[in-house]
Amino acid sequence: MKLRKISLTKLLFIIPALLIVGVLLLYPICSSVFYSFTTKNLIKQNYKFIGFENYTKLLKDKEFYAAFFTSIKWTVFSLIGQIVVGFSAALALNKIQRGNGFFRTVLIIPWAFPTIVTALSWKWILNGVYGFLPNFLMKIGLVQSTPQFLSDSNLVFWTLVFINIWFGAPLIMVNVLSALQTIPRDQYEAAQIDGAGGLASFIHITLPHIRVVIGLLVVLRTIWIFNNFDIIYLITGGGPASLTTTVPVYAYNTGWVLKQLGKSSAVTILLLIFLLCICLLYFRLLDKWEKEVS
Amino acid sequence: MCSRLKRDFWTTSFCYLYLVILSIIAAFPLIWILISSVKGRGELTSNPTSFWPKTFTLEYYKHVLYDLGFNINIANSIVISLSTTAIAIIVSTLAAYGIVRFFPRIGKAMTRVLIVTYMFPPILLAVPYTIMMARAGLTNTRIGLVIVNLSFSVPYAVWLLVGFFQTVPLEIEEAAHIDGANTLTVFSKIVLPIVAPGVVATAIYTFINAWNEFLFSLILINSSDKMTVAVALKSLDGAEILDWGDMMAASALVVIPSVIFFMMIQKKIAGELAQGSIK
Repeated sequence: MKLRKISLTKLLFIIPALLIVGVLLLYPICSSVFYSFTTKNLIKQNYKFIGFENYTKLLKDKEFYAAFFTSIKWTVFSLIGQIVVGFSAALALNKIQRGNGFFRTVLIIPWAFPTIVTALSWKWILNGVYGFLPNFLMKIGLVQSTPQFLSDSNLVFWTLVFINIWFGAPLIMVNVLSALQTIPRDQYEAAQIDGAGGLASFIHITLPHIRVVIGLLVVLRTIWIFNNFDIIYLITGGGPASLTTTVPVYAYNTGWVLKQLGKSSAVTILLLIFLLCICLLYFRLLDKWEKEVS
Repeated sequence: MCSRLKRDFWTTSFCYLYLVILSIIAAFPLIWILISSVKGRGELTSNPTSFWPKTFTLEYYKHVLYDLGFNINIANSIVISLSTTAIAIIVSTLAAYGIVRFFPRIGKAMTRVLIVTYMFPPILLAVPYTIMMARAGLTNTRIGLVIVNLSFSVPYAVWLLVGFFQTVPLEIEEAAHIDGANTLTVFSKIVLPIVAPGVVATAIYTFINAWNEFLFSLILINSSDKMTVAVALKSLDGAEILDWGDMMAASALVVIPSVIFFMMIQKKIAGELAQGSIK
């Protein structure tokens, strides 16, 4: 009897959190799966069950595929950019002796930015008429006319990728930096005595030590970037001419502009399935690495 | 040896140069928001590349706060973020301790559980939340928004807190148990004071994320007197005539608390992800 009482107290610690996960995460997912088989509408009360119709329609929809490929492109380029910038900044910070604290504090500023402020500030800086950057580029004679970063169809996608790198690189930098600091110094010294150059010790000491962290960061960032709705929605709204519409923006437009919540659910379920597959792949790789380390 | 020193000098100089360039890019939007928000009327459009304001004005701030009702939106955001933080921290502190002490096996799977909750696209949750809140009569209420905010703040807070609780040595607790203290006393009188700095850091991080939240506020709140600052800011962007001075002043009001809080906790929070994955 006493044993059961103790385990109840123990359970009480985690029950509220489990309830929140159940009510706010598991139940909504299940109901999303349900609604994806219906004609649920944002305004109309009645809806009926239509089986896989939402899905079959989507898989024939050219705009959906376009959004999907935009999402892939957006994720791959943003991720590579964030890793390259974040990683190199961490290496540079790790190398210098003075001013680490200062640089670190300044470099993480973008991380603290609410997305709406990120959007508005860059829209203002890049504004085609009064923006700082287009006018500055004109002034120093680099361009003949002010570049339209956010409406020129050749530039807009890359502008968004740049802004996403600006926003996401600090997180990579900080995490890589703290991983770098866990590497024992004497390993580098030993390598130096053995005559290994900078590149050799980077490949044989630095990379193996931090690749699990990098692996996890890559997973988390991939998911985050792929799921990200507000950066693109707030800066371009998916335009011009749905050129920057990713899957989440497409889902939002389907649900809240076209009012088709059922179809919108189907889009997000497909998105979740795709991400699950990617995650399973990553987990297998991480497991392999963790085994090698231990 | 001499050539190595020389090479080292150039590498270090290059590092500094690189960091200076990155810092300028990282900080520029914040600086430009602040400059643009205090330039006198007409200056924003007449000379887009000038740095120093010719006339200094707080007119935009006054206009945004009192004429556009941002004071109400700021109050809404504070109330919503504080409530979210309070509930999330109580629930997550209990859960994190429970996981570390009583259910360590769950703890090992935590990283992956977090990844899975991370994987639920916020836009996926948006549809069921709209329907759930409508059914519960909580559409367009601040309580409804606090509830949905828990969906992302609790898992993340639990994850961070598990890391902090793992640093508490088991021996201290065992000693207290031998002295006859029960589980709750041990938790509140012995463990909590040790992890307090970590809990505070997590609370601030939760507050920042709730303050910055956008999507759920956008779909759940539709009357301007209940809007959070993020959505109110978005509605300025949708106006027919864009007033960039107003928008930059409002942006400054939203971003400054976030940046200040973030700098306070960055050392504490930042390495957690890296360490969490090694554990």
